[in-house]
Amino acid sequence: MAADHRDGEHELIALMVAYQKGDMEAFTGLYDALERPLIRYLWTFVRNQTVAEDLLQDTFLQLHRARRTYTPPRPVRPWVYAITRHVALMHLRSQRRRKEVLPEDGLPDIPVPPEIERLADRATLMRLLGGLPREASEVLILHHLLGVSFEEIGEIMGVAPGTAKVRAHRALKKLRESVGGEGA
Amino acid sequence: MSLDRIPDGLRQAIELDHRAVRPLHPIWLRVMIAVSALAVVLSFVLANASLRADLDELPMWLSWGCSALQLALGVILLGLAVRESVPGAAAPLGAVRLAALLAVGVQLLVGVATAVMSPAIALSGGGLGPGVGCLKHESLLALPAFVVTLGLVFRALPLRAPTAGLLGGGGAAVAADAAIHLMCPMSNLPHVIVWHTGAVLLFMVAGWTAGAAWERLRWSRLS
Repeated sequence: MAADHRDGEHELIALMVAYQKGDMEAFTGLYDALERPLIRYLWTFVRNQTVAEDLLQDTFLQLHRARRTYTPPRPVRPWVYAITRHVALMHLRSQRRRKEVLPEDGLPDIPVPPEIERLADRATLMRLLGGLPREASEVLILHHLLGVSFEEIGEIMGVAPGTAKVRAHRALKKLRESVGGEGA
Repeated sequence: MSLDRIPDGLRQAIELDHRAVRPLHPIWLRVMIAVSALAVVLSFVLANASLRADLDELPMWLSWGCSALQLALGVILLGLAVRESVPGAAAPLGAVRLAALLAVGVQLLVGVATAVMSPAIALSGGGLGPGVGCLKHESLLALPAFVVTLGLVFRALPLRAPTAGLLGGGGAAVAADAAIHLMCPMSNLPHVIVWHTGAVLLFMVAGWTAGAAWERLRWSRLS
């Protein structure tokens, strides 16, 4: 998984550099590579797939406007996820101001890694993940489901890698307790 | 890979503004630009202004030593401010808070130590005139680095713009105070706390406010 992650990162860097040089095909490549993970990440904030898909467009627009702030050869993912997180938080802030309440729905389809999958069946897991507090599910989804390292999560969320690790550990513990609670 | 996969609105917005861009300079180089603004002003002032009369009576660690420490802390804060401007490169919030508190704390401790080690000068009229003079000098010294740093920060994309502004303001003011510490002859503690620490806090608030205004402007365009 780590090797895949590294290869993917090299590919993203190459696409990002080409995109900065004005290659529209490279933008399409980035969109293809990032669309699904970003919808999953955005879902952790808004808990509604339709809103997450709308925010995806805002996110790509912001990535486009801010493309000169990416400095190669830094990893692309922390840069992308940090902007995505900010777009989502800004949306939540304006939603709170407007006092909007949207229905929550299930997590978009995600390949679940074995350490999570063995906790419970897929449907239960998805429901319980949705029931976790936002910061807990954010770290869990970033690390366990999207394969982002704790170092990178720290850069995305503006916390120390150790803090990200502790949050993920606590979230996983809470998820296990919830699964246990359901089973009892 | 096909452009058809991209939603129409997004594709049109991107095609309207589709051109090659030059990536920002690396963070270390942009920090050097901010530090250069600071270095030019401080070296000019230190070369031309007269140093405090009791400088020789103060121990080296308290005079030049503490100034060097404050200068280093100021540069660290400027560096953290510039790091804030690149998404995904910001320092952990705990480290940012610690650096900001340390900078103000050291400035206060230097003031207390100087007040203990150096005889106070009687200030006429409650010290308002000299105090305003110190505030003015400190502000003039800090302003170039403050403006350059905020310019570098706001030309990029700070995701915690108020924090970046606070760090930029604090860094510029603490570094300016490093020079003022060698020039201001008044070591009275109330004078130091009100006018010198006050100047640092003032720049921090100014930076925070500028960051908040920038953030509101930048992200209001999104909604």
